[in-house]
Amino acid sequence: MVDTTSFWASWELFRDAALAGTFAGAMLGALGVYVLIRRMVFLSAALSQAASLGVATAFWAQVQGAPPWLATPTLGALGGTLLATAIAGIPDRTGRRDGLLGAIYLVCAAGTLAIGTKIVQELQDIESLLFGSGVAVLPDDFQIIAWLALALGLVQLWLHRGLLHVSLDRDGARVQGLPVRFLDFVLVLSLAAAVSVSTRLLGALPVFAFMVLPALAALDVAQNPTQALLISAFLGALAGLGGYWLAFAASLPVGAAQTLVAALLVLTARVMHFTASRILAWQAHRHHHRLQHQAHEHGPDCGHEPVAHGDHLDYLVDGHLHHPHDGHCDDHGHQ
Amino acid sequence: MLLHIQDLWVGYQNRAILPPITLTVEPGQLWAVIGPNGAGKSTFLRTLLALQPPVAGTVTRGEGPIGYVPQRSEVDPAVPQRVIDLVRMGVERGWRVLDPLAARRNPAVQTAMRDANVTELARTQWRRLSEGQKQRALLAQALAGEPKLLVLDEPTSAMDVHAEAAIFNVLERLRTDRHLGVVVISHHLALLAKQATHFLLLDKDENLALVGDRETVLRHTAFIERYGQVLDRGGRHG
Repeated sequence: MVDTTSFWASWELFRDAALAGTFAGAMLGALGVYVLIRRMVFLSAALSQAASLGVATAFWAQVQGAPPWLATPTLGALGGTLLATAIAGIPDRTGRRDGLLGAIYLVCAAGTLAIGTKIVQELQDIESLLFGSGVAVLPDDFQIIAWLALALGLVQLWLHRGLLHVSLDRDGARVQGLPVRFLDFVLVLSLAAAVSVSTRLLGALPVFAFMVLPALAALDVAQNPTQALLISAFLGALAGLGGYWLAFAASLPVGAAQTLVAALLVLTARVMHFTASRILAWQAHRHHHRLQHQAHEHGPDCGHEPVAHGDHLDYLVDGHLHHPHDGHCDDHGHQ
Repeated sequence: MLLHIQDLWVGYQNRAILPPITLTVEPGQLWAVIGPNGAGKSTFLRTLLALQPPVAGTVTRGEGPIGYVPQRSEVDPAVPQRVIDLVRMGVERGWRVLDPLAARRNPAVQTAMRDANVTELARTQWRRLSEGQKQRALLAQALAGEPKLLVLDEPTSAMDVHAEAAIFNVLERLRTDRHLGVVVISHHLALLAKQATHFLLLDKDENLALVGDRETVLRHTAFIERYGQVLDRGGRHG
């Protein structure tokens, strides 16, 4: 049984970490909408793994005697992300961009593990940044992610129309003279910053999950892309915070718990989407039949098969029982 | 002048696929770009819109924006979008996109939706529209930018006869009432023969780029050889 009281009683202990997860979930959730619309899920996976490699490399450089102010994990994550972004951005005429992104992901994952074995004392950190098992956040790191979330929120407020336009209709944006390259640059920079800082704090697994799952759920329930951005940011924040709660309650690794909560949100959104679709289809069916029957009168020679139903007679129309009475016609459901 | 194309060679990777094309689009003209599948029509259109570089030659735009109506398949049905959202995107121009509320304030959105007859569909999701409704929504999007020149890539493919005629009626009204220039790729020769003022007949395999006004092109042997019988039947060509 989950003990909610003790979760909140211990809140002070992991408040910064939980809020950092919430901020990361919100900003990555919003950016994930662009990732999904542009069909670049592989890129987000490669970037989060490159950030991991950057962090591992920073730890290794510190062990080798590099100055700590230079070889910081956050700078390492940013460097790794930017390098991966640059490699992924090289024009590709072979049509095998997904293969290139897969290669970046694999090289970075293998590199992180390889470096991890060379710095045994930091192995715990390497595991944390791969799977998101970390539960503590330094005050400086918390400040960084809080300010970054605020900055990216303002960028979204200002540029979301342009960013969505370029993502949804690139040709149209170019014909209309939008600053496509500038908007691409802003998006890539936002992704690089959000991924590198979040990976440093949470690990590659939840970062990848936040970029895919909340957006997947939001696109199922939103009416338009702008709404999807807001919903996705909210769901990302919910997964970030809810993951901490689940990890606390069920003694799970935080990254895995956050991913599971995000996956649960996707499932919920899918059910809502499916239900709404069925309701709409049913309403359209009812409307169609109502229109048909305004000009149709059931009777012995109307062309529909009469079916006995309880104490009255219905007529079979497209598998539905229609019951005419008092000048109108009721749908008595499937036969 | 809305658009002037001078000795334009179109193609890929510095290899031209058609002979050079020179033409000028003036207000009130409807240019029909015709030719068999794979003739180079879309390549020409993309070059004209600066979506791909020319092999050689120049494209000079006149005053006023260009409205572009892509093929319907280019809109992702997996992304939730209502007609009003799609049309609002048409308002964005250049760096004005940095104003997040510009599209909401712009009265051109409502006018464009009225012109394209999609006002009733404003809150309907793109994926629930019929083929004809989708095309009208894309036309409204292009009109929201208050263009002087409309460029349409096969706007009536996969449409029934009535929806097709409705689209061409809207184009005819825009051309005659508002003096918009129109460049359209279409296979519907019967409608084009009545409404187009000029033709550009392309055939990559025959290295052909025939440019001229309607009367000239319809009488040209290259046109009659290809489409004379089709036109006599009053139908479409593939």
